[in-house]
Amino acid sequence: MSKHQYAMVMDLNKCLGCQTCTIACKKLWTDRDGTGYMYWNNVETRPGLGYPRQWDRIGGGWRDGALQPSPLPTMDDYGHAWEYNYEQRLYEGKKQPVMPSPDPKSGVNWDEDVGGMNEDENYFFYLPRICNHCTYPACLEACPRKAIYKRDEDGIVVIDQDRCQGYRYCIKACPYKKIYFNEVTGKSEKCIFCYPRLEKGEVNACAAQCPGRLRFVGLLDDPESPVHKLVLVHKIALPLFPEKGTQPNVFYVPPFNPPKRENYGKSIQEDPRVPLDYLIYLFGPEVKDVIMRLETELKKTQEGGRSEALQLLIGRDAETRFHVRPPLVQIQV
Amino acid sequence: MRIRLLVIIVLVSLQLSAGSWAQTGVKLAAGQSLSVAASSAGIDTLLSGGPAAWNQIAAKHVALNRTPPLYDTDEPATLEIPSVDVRVARTGGKLLVQLTWRDATHDAVTLAEVPNTPPETRFRKVQTEADDRFFDAAAIMFPEKAGTGAIAPSLQMGDAEHPVAIYYWNATRGPMLMQAQGRSTTRRTGKTFPASGSYQNGQWSVIFQLPDLPAGTTVAFAVWNGGQKDRDGRKYFSVWQVLE
Repeated sequence: MSKHQYAMVMDLNKCLGCQTCTIACKKLWTDRDGTGYMYWNNVETRPGLGYPRQWDRIGGGWRDGALQPSPLPTMDDYGHAWEYNYEQRLYEGKKQPVMPSPDPKSGVNWDEDVGGMNEDENYFFYLPRICNHCTYPACLEACPRKAIYKRDEDGIVVIDQDRCQGYRYCIKACPYKKIYFNEVTGKSEKCIFCYPRLEKGEVNACAAQCPGRLRFVGLLDDPESPVHKLVLVHKIALPLFPEKGTQPNVFYVPPFNPPKRENYGKSIQEDPRVPLDYLIYLFGPEVKDVIMRLETELKKTQEGGRSEALQLLIGRDAETRFHVRPPLVQIQV
Repeated sequence: MRIRLLVIIVLVSLQLSAGSWAQTGVKLAAGQSLSVAASSAGIDTLLSGGPAAWNQIAAKHVALNRTPPLYDTDEPATLEIPSVDVRVARTGGKLLVQLTWRDATHDAVTLAEVPNTPPETRFRKVQTEADDRFFDAAAIMFPEKAGTGAIAPSLQMGDAEHPVAIYYWNATRGPMLMQAQGRSTTRRTGKTFPASGSYQNGQWSVIFQLPDLPAGTTVAFAVWNGGQKDRDGRKYFSVWQVLE
């Protein structure tokens, strides 16, 4: 465990699926050779395949203190890069329409807005994902090169590019499949929680750019930080797949999950829009309590009261949403 | 001699099976000698794999061992490459070593060339085409300090008192010179060395150019089979051989 821990809370009720976070991250960090298929931040539609597809069923993480096996996702799971035949269409006078090649069969956000069916009603929501900067990172344990370390001063998990040899044990071990192999450099890469920005007092690029203002950033152990309040005081944010055993430090406020029809005055347990089983699959059984808590807070405001938790979730300004501190621990070099 | 060899084999296997990765040196077995042939062929001829020159040199059949499973999550692996043939030639003040071994799968690709302009100035970046493939490779390891007597460095990448040089060749990424002083300390030096490899009829033939090593130097060999997802310590290895 680190001395301090940066964490992020994402309110799924506010995510528009606009991918501004994805682009902010891509332009800043993964616009290099070999990073074409890398999305340190991606937003996927749930229920859905995810990116890489079926990552949630592939394996990795911990069980009874032991790393769990997992295959490496293939490029078919990520989707191969494609190009368009613009030259033929625009310069060579060919009449065929502009077509991608090779024929795309999968890709990031491939099944956007498809979602699932709850009896006769369609439902879906967006799930933005970054590296979870876990308290017990399976990737760190799996690396025989000791190339992965968790920063003592802020809990951010990073891969030392000088030590990494591209063995990819980390990719297998990560239950969230948030590490990517760069075949051009022969090394693995992942989200760095924008630590160079944090060290300058700037919040993560994905959080800064989010038009939905759904991301909250701060130290989990700082009582003044919004993440501390949402996760530990109001207890309305949960990690993804807690049973994977890595203790993620990215938390989600689950969908309020109103009833499908005639929602006023009905409890979520009567007629939920998103099947509770699916939310339990993603966030564990505690999600039910969290939704009940959210419902109670909502009721409080509907009856003219004031809810501190909901006021915080509105996140009107950057000062409310972000609490970025200068480094609290000076590492001796 | 047989008994001494047996003792060494037992020692090595005990060392491996017990998982107590020894950090100290190992005593050498007699009989693991490797003859060095003086060759009249030039360095370039030998490096290019000229069969006329190499066929004159007797090959030593060196048995390969498979490392035991290193990690709980490792897929089991079978012994697909039981041995490597080693030929050593001395010419022009260098040692040329040819390793040949049978490998049913040819695991090598030609990676897209990276243009000599910074990526931010280009519209198209070089793509990663596969993230789950591993490539065939081979390596020769010897102590950086010669003349350590009857004690050779630990077979597991040397040890603190006995750093080793590792001449590593990868079927896709080519040769690179590495250095280590114990397990999990291997690092790239950023230097390279002349080497060549060719794959024909299910057989790899890889030629390494090493500095001239004095008689009595211990050398060990390793082979990685990309088709078996070999990388890191997941590989085939020989015990120490002594140059004559």
